Amino acid sequence: MLIHLPILQVIIPLLGAPLCLMVKGSRFVWGFTLLVSLLASMISVALLWQVEANGTLSYALGGWQAPIGIEYRIDILSAYLLLIVSCMSTIVLLGGYRSIEKEIPVSNQSYFYVAYLLCLAGLLGIVAAGDAFNVFVFLEISSLASYILIGLGKDRRALWASFQYLIVGTIGATFILIGVGYLYIMTGTLNMVDLAQRIPSVSESTTVLVAFAFLIVGVCLKLAMFPLHVWLPNAYAFAPSIVTAFLAASATKVAVYLLFRFSFGVFGIELTESILPLHEVFIGLGLAGVFAASLVAVFQQNIKRLFAYSSVAQIGYMIVGYGLDSVAGSMASLLHLFNHALMKASLFMALAAVVYRLGSVQLKDLAGLASVMPWTAAAIVIGGLSLVGVPLTVGFVSKWYLVLAALEQDLWWVALLLVVGSLLAIVYVWRIVEQMYFAPSTSGDQSDGTREAPIGLLTALWILVIANIYFGIDTRLPVGVAELAAEHIFGGRL
Amino acid sequence: MMNSDSPGFFDKPANVKRVLRVFYACCALLLIMDVVIHRHVVHPWETLIGFYPLYGFLGCVVLVLLAKVMRKVLMRDEDFYDHQPRVVDLVTDKKDGAESEASDVDR
Amino acid sequence: MWIAELPSFIYFYLGALLLPLLRGWGRNLVLLAIPLVSGFFLWQLPEGEHWQVTLLGFELTPFYTDRLSVLFGYVFHIAAFIAIVYALHVRDLLQQVASLMYAGSALGAVFSGDLISLFVFWEMLAVTSVFLVFARRTERAYRSGMRYLMIQVMSGLLLLVGVILYVQASGSLRFDFIGLEHVGTAGLASWLIFIAIGIKCAFPFLHTWLTDAYPESTPTGTIFLSAFTTKVAVYALARGYPGTELLIYIGAVMTCFPIFYAVIENDLRRVLAYSLINQVGFMVVGIGIGTALAVNGAVAHAFNDVIFKGLLFMSMGAVLHMTGKINGSELGGLYKSMPKTTILCIVGAASISAFPLFSGFVSKSMVMTAALNNGYNVIWLMLLFASAGVFHHAGIKIPYFAFFAHDSGIRTSEPPTNMLIAMTIAAVLCVAIGVYPEMVYSLLPHDVDYTPYDTTHVLAQLQLLFFSALAFVWLNQRGLYPPELPSVNLDVEWFYRRLLPRLFEFIMGLFWSLNEVLRQTIKRFLSALGNHIHTHSGPQGILAKTWPTGRVVFWVAMILAAFLILSLY
Repeated sequence: MLIHLPILQVIIPLLGAPLCLMVKGSRFVWGFTLLVSLLASMISVALLWQVEANGTLSYALGGWQAPIGIEYRIDILSAYLLLIVSCMSTIVLLGGYRSIEKEIPVSNQSYFYVAYLLCLAGLLGIVAAGDAFNVFVFLEISSLASYILIGLGKDRRALWASFQYLIVGTIGATFILIGVGYLYIMTGTLNMVDLAQRIPSVSESTTVLVAFAFLIVGVCLKLAMFPLHVWLPNAYAFAPSIVTAFLAASATKVAVYLLFRFSFGVFGIELTESILPLHEVFIGLGLAGVFAASLVAVFQQNIKRLFAYSSVAQIGYMIVGYGLDSVAGSMASLLHLFNHALMKASLFMALAAVVYRLGSVQLKDLAGLASVMPWTAAAIVIGGLSLVGVPLTVGFVSKWYLVLAALEQDLWWVALLLVVGSLLAIVYVWRIVEQMYFAPSTSGDQSDGTREAPIGLLTALWILVIANIYFGIDTRLPVGVAELAAEHIFGGRL
Repeated sequence: MMNSDSPGFFDKPANVKRVLRVFYACCALLLIMDVVIHRHVVHPWETLIGFYPLYGFLGCVVLVLLAKVMRKVLMRDEDFYDHQPRVVDLVTDKKDGAESEASDVDR
Repeated sequence: MWIAELPSFIYFYLGALLLPLLRGWGRNLVLLAIPLVSGFFLWQLPEGEHWQVTLLGFELTPFYTDRLSVLFGYVFHIAAFIAIVYALHVRDLLQQVASLMYAGSALGAVFSGDLISLFVFWEMLAVTSVFLVFARRTERAYRSGMRYLMIQVMSGLLLLVGVILYVQASGSLRFDFIGLEHVGTAGLASWLIFIAIGIKCAFPFLHTWLTDAYPESTPTGTIFLSAFTTKVAVYALARGYPGTELLIYIGAVMTCFPIFYAVIENDLRRVLAYSLINQVGFMVVGIGIGTALAVNGAVAHAFNDVIFKGLLFMSMGAVLHMTGKINGSELGGLYKSMPKTTILCIVGAASISAFPLFSGFVSKSMVMTAALNNGYNVIWLMLLFASAGVFHHAGIKIPYFAFFAHDSGIRTSEPPTNMLIAMTIAAVLCVAIGVYPEMVYSLLPHDVDYTPYDTTHVLAQLQLLFFSALAFVWLNQRGLYPPELPSVNLDVEWFYRRLLPRLFEFIMGLFWSLNEVLRQTIKRFLSALGNHIHTHSGPQGILAKTWPTGRVVFWVAMILAAFLILSLY
């Protein structure tokens, strides 16, 4: 059984999806989906243990060995991502029942869970897959499922946002496919390990470079790197709250994983470093993302959109870490991946609670929220502090390592800008805090309808909030694994 | 104690005159004594007849006249130093002024 | 008995601590007892080092007595006692504590055997005395006190730097002859100490703190102030710089220039303050000449000056206390209502003018004789002129404008008995010393071989004084004498009371206008930046607006193209 864990990781949610249709009753469907997600996360934990103990796991699907067959390959980086994605999925689902019940029409709820599981399966598949084409396939599965999830939003603009995401996402996926296709033409293999071995011999060819360009641009589109982020704010803003929480915590993280995987794992550091001033460009774009998106966030009235822009800014930090092109930078970036998943999941879960009670995420409607929904408001404050990077929260840990990584290369200005960028986060977080705690409540008449969020939602929310603090103090798990992963991708072939 | 309402000794010009006459006599006597009394001197000027009286008289006249000239140059109103803002006021006043101006601009 | 070995300042400091616990007669008793007890023990004490402590590795001698310091110790005790009697009616704890501390600090300073103790008491003098100015409790006095404090503290700092350098260069902490002949670091140090003393001594151009602050103090506070600070400086000069020729010229200038101001000054206590500088000038000249006679004269004159200048300040203080007025232009004719005060004032005036049989005569003539004996003819003429001038402004002007002149119509009464007693004690001392100068001569640091009362001296002095008075009478009758006018006469203080504030105002004005421009520029820049950011990042900005899908795709294509171009070339 244990040796089949890599495939089980993917196949369980994949098979669970159609089964959802057979389960009647929204509560049971939710329970079933939660169970599947829980299984997936248990598997991911087991996989991480195994990888930490025994090194990279390789699983040949159906017994067909690598070049011919499909290989699932779990190294420390993959295991780390699997853990993040599946655990976030589980926690979000755990608290999501009431929110989903309220925001999704009953007739669509089964489809929602199907799409949710498919999206999860796709994301897990991307991470687990050992060959490039499978990456593409799972990417399409997750993308298509996420288009559906976003389109389920109550707001009619959700459909349009979903459509735009579909166009952009498809272009991204197509670019990736084109890149993979070129690589297959040049090397005759799709397996990433083989690709990594064969590319150096053909690295002089323009085809490989073009493949690299398509792949990177495609991935960057998926991870919403500034200035390719345009699809993200709308998609996050209009999607159902739970979907936003899930996608924010997982989808972009997986895209970041792909960026690391392709550039360091497949093309290899030598090639990546030899091409263009790639790193300077990424540092520049990352910082531009931090500032542009943070500034936009400062002016946003819709808090979901505000945090969506904040996500673009946080992705900027990860891009800077990637652009630093060092073990320390990659480690900071991967660490931030984990931490950002925690903080954004908690913030969007809190917003789900707000939407559940208030039906609005406009900033002005949050006036006096702290008095009616103290726990939720407190969660937003802690999540916000984490976002700013206040010590004793996860946000501090990753920014600390990121600044250290920048200083390691004597990039003082980068370090300085990273810190200044965090200050912008103070501004938009403070606007929310001010509104919740200091503005007089405008909705005195509807106070009868407004009370604290349902217990399930709060439980999930506070698990995340406590994780935000716990991992901000006890940093062994994320820092240890991120360090291992960073050393792994830099230390040798995947 | 003298009754304060009664005219004082010096309120009568005759008294003043009398006192002054005695004073003049003293001066004359002192001048004459300069000739009569032999003194041991250190400085040659001291032997000059009437050196000390002359020096004292002229010195004081010059002193007073020079002081009168000084007055022309140095005298100011009694409150000359009073009506100037303290440094602290100076700073805060100016600052307030500047701020009100600034807020005017804002408006 | 160990208590007899205590340094004098301890009695005063302890007394100052004790005062707040007492009230009424108890407090007065303590006040009166302190200078008596302390003075008695000082009188009993043999010369020498009485107390040595090691502090931070320094051998300090805070209580060292020799003839010079004991003389000052005596006169300070006398002055403190007289001033305490004079101020006995005052019910102001602040003044009482400050005056005890101040007198104690002065005693501490003159008994300091080492330079570090000297510095400590030097600063204590400044800090304690300023409260006597503040005690007037007017805005004017407060400002004046602040200026006074700043200058005094500056003197202390100069002394500190000088002491540090001097101790480093010479390796000795002893406060002994310093002189200005050193070279190198010690030379610099000796000059710093010299200037520090010079400030307290009211050297020309450094004197305005005195004429500024003393007349602003309370009627009783000024008595303390006039006694101690300048005399401590004279003591320090007498110990550290006797025979320094520069002092002769400085002192000569000090004797002459204040009398001009004194003639035209309206505030009678300020007239006395100028006269104080003039008298200190005689002492400085004596120290500068440096012969036994000269130094004796200087020190004796310091002794006498404390008493007769105190007497004059007390009489003016009595006038101020009773009438609330002190300007010559507002006073006059007070002899009718304050005859005793008038007589006491005239005794003081006669003393300061050095009339024979009054104390000023027996000491001032020593200095002048020393100047003549040592061939300083011009200096001698200056001192002679200053003597005539002193008589003119302090001897005649003060009593004349306060008590005689035209009747101002003010009808008042004699001051409180304690004031009269204090003035009487001082007046008796003035006459006693004048009649029996050996009282002071026996205390002088050098052996005295000088007889003030011979016909030459007496006749010359009388001639000088009478004809000075004649000049006054003549000028007055011809209407040439400058009338008393309410006014301020510019002095060196103009530089820091007028020029400096104006300069500061000007610079601040420049700065503020500059700042205004700067702030407006920054403001404009920030608002422009804000607008700019809002244009791009605000909800309607290009960065925040939802782009049409076509534009998104266009940008994707552009970036891919850029990427490709970059990677291929």
